[in-house]
Amino acid sequence: MVNEQEIIKDMKQTLANDVFEAESPKKHRVFLRIRPEALRKAVKTLTQKYETRLITVSAVDHGLDLEFLHHFHVGGNVVTFRTVKPKEDNTIDSIVDIVPAANFIEREISDLFGAKFTNHHQPQPLILPANWPNDKRPLREPHGVDLPSQAKASAEALISSGCVFSVSSFIEKKRVEAGLPRTPPLTFTDEKAMKEFQSLMEESGFAEKVGYDMEKKRLRYKVGGE
Amino acid sequence: MVKYVSFLGCMIPLRLPSIEIAAKKVFEKTGIEAVDLEGYTCCPEPVISRLIDQKAWLAAAARNLAMAEEKGLDLMTLCNGCYETLIEANETLKHDPKMLKETNQLLREFGKQYKGTIDVKHAVEVLAEDIGFAKLKGLVKKPQKIKVAMHYGCHLYRGHEGEDMMRKPNMMKQIAQVTGATVVDYGLEKLCCGYPGMQADEEFSLKERLALKLKRMEDMGAEAVVLTCPACTVQFETGQVMLRRYGIRHNLPCINIMELLALSFGVPSKELSLDFHRSPVLQLAQKMEAI
Repeated sequence: MVNEQEIIKDMKQTLANDVFEAESPKKHRVFLRIRPEALRKAVKTLTQKYETRLITVSAVDHGLDLEFLHHFHVGGNVVTFRTVKPKEDNTIDSIVDIVPAANFIEREISDLFGAKFTNHHQPQPLILPANWPNDKRPLREPHGVDLPSQAKASAEALISSGCVFSVSSFIEKKRVEAGLPRTPPLTFTDEKAMKEFQSLMEESGFAEKVGYDMEKKRLRYKVGGE
Repeated sequence: MVKYVSFLGCMIPLRLPSIEIAAKKVFEKTGIEAVDLEGYTCCPEPVISRLIDQKAWLAAAARNLAMAEEKGLDLMTLCNGCYETLIEANETLKHDPKMLKETNQLLREFGKQYKGTIDVKHAVEVLAEDIGFAKLKGLVKKPQKIKVAMHYGCHLYRGHEGEDMMRKPNMMKQIAQVTGATVVDYGLEKLCCGYPGMQADEEFSLKERLALKLKRMEDMGAEAVVLTCPACTVQFETGQVMLRRYGIRHNLPCINIMELLALSFGVPSKELSLDFHRSPVLQLAQKMEAI
């Protein structure tokens, strides 16, 4: 009978850097946090190497991201693959062709959370009526973080410009007319200072907390909701 | 020479630059050297960002403080919100070695460090303590013979641990009196203007906060309200317009203490760009000039 540490060792060997975290918090229990792109490889490895049974797939809506938990029974252990996908993407690979028993649960998750299982051979609704509206999924949370709209807008402005008010050309013009510099020496007037401040917001965890996309330089969601 | 790093914040230069203009005139006349802080950010504002993440809020505030410390100068704010953030961040960093260490670990990556050697002051403190009421009075060329009501703003009551909460409001009141204005007491000085509540309950904030204050001020004969906080100024000015929806009409000029002081020093109203205001501050100033 295989034990938890052997499973972890095997999976790490096969998946290498695709495993972010592996732990066995108690006897017969294994959690593997993996890259979503490696899910199919992980499932294939597990099913080919061990006598494996799919228990179920569960999903959690974290607001910004969807987390999928694929639970397997492996030689007396429960092994869970945890994958997180941004809700902007909203897809996860189907494993039905590897594990046919995943068919109904993938469709149920699709119905309840609105996630798309890529390459599912039978993607029609399972428990919801066929004409159920796409934008009203029973277990789907609004895309974003749990903050008032004004706080989201302020956080976005703070990270993207270093101040919470936008600079209008009207005010710039009026400032010049009044004999003031076009803008005060705020961060956005200095590229180096701006980069430094944005890195500080990233390093401190603020950007991640409010769901700010550092590459796109905006929030990952609409301030007013989906 | 009195010399400070001048922390302008976001709201004054980007929404109410007339306060920045008046402050410059006042600093020139009183001999305060106000040094710019290049590359500063929002303080950050004391409510939202702090509630989202105190560690990040503190790091951003410490970055501003560290840049002022590099200049070897204490920091002076014009805005009450900036004052609250920076004084409270400074107190935390000076008295909590663990927080100072954690914050400096973040700043170190960007070649910055805050040692906790500077003080944060509101401009009213600088005027009252470094310049003094006697000198301010000596500079008054055009006494402002009007009755005014004071709105100090909630954040002006904040300060060092154990500080008398009325210390700075009293300074502000005395500065207003130095200009020649008569300060009327209306009994609701400490009531919030309603600005923070506008997102949660606009009608309550306008009718149960702002309107109560405006009515009492006018009942006591105030011809203007004197403020230091730009957020309160926005609330008073736009709030008076919004109150018309509820059949409540007020049109009280909302003048900043720096603008009142500059006018009393004889700075012509046309040099102060008072048309940035949404209440009749310019008209009030012109009326005073005509006397």
